[in-house]
Amino acid sequence: MWHIAKRELYDNLNSLRFALTTVLLLALMLTNAVVHLQKHPNRLQKYRASVTKSLDGLKARGDSLYDIAQQGPGLLYKKPSSLRFCADGGEAFLSDVVGGAFLWSISGSSGRLKGFWRLDYPVATPNLINIRPAVTKVDWGFIIGYILSLIALLFTFDSISGEREHGTLRLMLANPIPRHTVLIGKFLGALISIIIPLSLAVLMNLLVISMSSDVHLGVDAWGRLGIIFLIAILYLCLFLALGLLVSARVQRRAVSLVILLLAWVIFVVFMPSTLAAIVSGFSSPMSTDELWKRRGQLYEARFARYDTHLPRESEPSKRMQFEGEHVIQEAQEQERLSHEQLAQKTAQAQFARTITRISPVAIVQHLLESFAGTGFNRHLQFIENTQRYARQFREFVADTDRADPESLHIIGVREGMSQKPVSPDAVPKFEDTLSLSKDFNAAAVDLLLLTLFVIVLLSGAYLAFVRVEV
Amino acid sequence: MLTLIRRELLDNLMTFRFAAAVFITMLLVVANTVVLIRNYEQRLESYNTAVKTHQQKVRGTKTYSAGDVVVDRAPNPLSIFNVGLDKRLGNQVAIHHGFVPTLWDAETHGSDTTFLNIFFAIDIVFVFEVVLSLMALLFAYDAIAGEHESGTLRLLLTHPVRRSHILLSKYMSAMVCLLIPLLMSLSLAIILLTGTGSIFLKTADFLRIGGIVFSSVAYMSVFYLIGLLISAVVRRTGTALMVSMFVWGFLVLVYPNVILAALEPLHDSEPRAKSVFSQIQQMWEEFDTEHKAFLINDPVPGESTSFGIGWVGYNFKRFREDSRTLRYYYKAGAHFDEIDERSQPKVPYAQNYYRFLVPLTISTAERTWLVRNQGLKDIFVQPAKIDRTLLKLSPVGIYDAATQAWAGTDLLSIQDFFDAARQYRQTVIDYFYDKEVFESRQWFSADKGAADWRTLPQFSFQRSDIKINAKRALPDLFLLLITNVVLFIIIFLIFIKNEV
Repeated sequence: MWHIAKRELYDNLNSLRFALTTVLLLALMLTNAVVHLQKHPNRLQKYRASVTKSLDGLKARGDSLYDIAQQGPGLLYKKPSSLRFCADGGEAFLSDVVGGAFLWSISGSSGRLKGFWRLDYPVATPNLINIRPAVTKVDWGFIIGYILSLIALLFTFDSISGEREHGTLRLMLANPIPRHTVLIGKFLGALISIIIPLSLAVLMNLLVISMSSDVHLGVDAWGRLGIIFLIAILYLCLFLALGLLVSARVQRRAVSLVILLLAWVIFVVFMPSTLAAIVSGFSSPMSTDELWKRRGQLYEARFARYDTHLPRESEPSKRMQFEGEHVIQEAQEQERLSHEQLAQKTAQAQFARTITRISPVAIVQHLLESFAGTGFNRHLQFIENTQRYARQFREFVADTDRADPESLHIIGVREGMSQKPVSPDAVPKFEDTLSLSKDFNAAAVDLLLLTLFVIVLLSGAYLAFVRVEV
Repeated sequence: MLTLIRRELLDNLMTFRFAAAVFITMLLVVANTVVLIRNYEQRLESYNTAVKTHQQKVRGTKTYSAGDVVVDRAPNPLSIFNVGLDKRLGNQVAIHHGFVPTLWDAETHGSDTTFLNIFFAIDIVFVFEVVLSLMALLFAYDAIAGEHESGTLRLLLTHPVRRSHILLSKYMSAMVCLLIPLLMSLSLAIILLTGTGSIFLKTADFLRIGGIVFSSVAYMSVFYLIGLLISAVVRRTGTALMVSMFVWGFLVLVYPNVILAALEPLHDSEPRAKSVFSQIQQMWEEFDTEHKAFLINDPVPGESTSFGIGWVGYNFKRFREDSRTLRYYYKAGAHFDEIDERSQPKVPYAQNYYRFLVPLTISTAERTWLVRNQGLKDIFVQPAKIDRTLLKLSPVGIYDAATQAWAGTDLLSIQDFFDAARQYRQTVIDYFYDKEVFESRQWFSADKGAADWRTLPQFSFQRSDIKINAKRALPDLFLLLITNVVLFIIIFLIFIKNEV
């Protein structure tokens, strides 16, 4: 078996395709590294500046518990992943901020009552002012998903049909070697001869990136990179197996290449986007117009309720209680509405992503995204983080208020809350985190699916090759 | 010659790759057209709703100064072929006297589903870009090398035929074979298009589609000739195939993405944006000084711009700014349903004030526009132009630009709309001057009759004439044709000098 693998390897190493592959992969990975080095420091700087601005805003709000609770902790920012070069994940289309919205005055005489801080999910529209041509980002996802798969097909389309055409297959099978050994040898030969340029390119990419002082990769990041590399190899195996399968079934190598390219174009280039477009048509989430309409309705209903049910001025404590509830419920209602829209939009995108898993390139991109800490799932994690933080923040307000015996414990009105000064440092800070275990949960399905594809195709190739007549 | 063509044609038509080419283009074009049509219908619907709401909103406003006239951009039905910039740029823009609207001030209609942007959007031209080029190369790689290897070339040349005829017949027959899937899938797409009730194509649109077809043929031919060139130079099918595939991968997949990714960080327009923005700011500060000077010298010194007019209504006055798009404008006015007795004597002062203020706002807006226009060109248009030019080093870029121009989804065509919007703004201002609206009572108060919006000139925008589309597409089309001719001559020279 090793003899066959070695023979294949030597054959490949001397071939034109090996040289072209090496040049192509090196050039792509170099571009990727250079672009990342130029853009990532800016991203980090922007993130830090925004977080500092947010914190400064919180400090400037003063030490009144009411002001802190009413205006909230400021905008919450998504931490940029240091592995963005592995998978861009359409980050530009996913907002990197969750906003705190509140109304300056909701009702009450002379706008005394102010709306309370609540979570709000702004949308990112990066293309609204951008008139430059749209292109795919050259990340590892692109290099592995598109280029590497094409290369894998070009390495295997003639491995059996080519030998059959030349007649060397018959010669080889005349020797006392079992057929599966021949197949595995061919598979390994092709695998190794692609892994060599791939590893070279990846090493050069990482070398360039880690030599820079601006970008720092931690232990965790290196672990993730290792996993990403393994995923790339698994994905490579899938296309090698497909190439071998078709090559074994088809008599002529030209036909085998046409079939393979056909499959590649359909599955890799078109399937993800076309399927996503078809599937997303089945549901129509709440549009921005509708959201604003419902916001207005909710607001009016609450305003009307305030006007009719407000206790008389002779009962100040009841009145204050009512006003506090009014403010808090208004914020809750609006937050629930934003959340509902977000959930509908998420469900739509999630469904489309699930369906596109038929295409292996979508699987590998999901996997890369989850290990690089970018993309859609990461965005959902970020939103979850902000929601957890919002709960924490509200608990802090309630606890601080409860700790003050002089307070009336009516949150929502200035007079009803603790008047004690609060140190801005005591307010919990938002820090966006990324946990590997969660990523792995999300990725497990994709990983299993990918492995399943590889096994099915490999055994298909085996069966096809065993049954083949020479 | 005819015998040669027939021979080649039969050879090609009976192959598996021909069947595959027909199958795959039809499948992809039909699947994507269905999706694209639905998408277009959705956009059209949201456009119609937006037009209606905007009209209702203006008609419902009782004073002229508070009325927000908004114009909407209709989706282009030919965006199904090449979406270009049609879908992603803003499609509604406010018309206001204190502000000259541009592409960068437009907003989208509110029926967006933003998370779907993480998926790549496909149009028919993209399908052709990928599939036709691949098919053309698959038809070409063995055209010369294959015959050379099998020895039939030698046989063929023993007959009294010219080499140029052999080459020409090969080219013609392959193009015929490639035209079949192209035309079949396109006619299916057009049947689907006309089959839906919502899309009305005019004669000019069919001519535009004809332009797209012609560009597609020229594009396909470029790739066929590239394949032929490789085939003539390499002379071994295996190698020719490998080189063809790598060339394809490079031209279609790698080059367009890599060149723009590599260039992206190089454009740093921030200093330029800052300087232009501060210039604009300064102009508005001058405006403010003049404005304050007027208030000091006016008949009731020291009074605020609201003149203490009150009762049911509100005053508004705001500066809006956005340094990224160099946007800076001033909007002031009032909306009173009723004015109380106490305020009545002050109404003439307010009228006098607006008679002064509005023309000053207009002239400042126009002055800043000159600076801003140049700034926007430098910051946004220039880099986009450089990108486009660099993309044209690959036939894919030329083809994309040509089809965008035909479809009317390129930058120039989108800017036509905003030119029309600017012109409409001028019309509205002229109309207001004619009717002396700025100094009228209805400018800020509806207590003696509300603003009459019915006679306001209507905005209308027609997509540019087919001649203009053609004029914009021709340079790129010409480039494609030149590439064809040059490639053909090179192949011819190589083929003539080749030893068999």
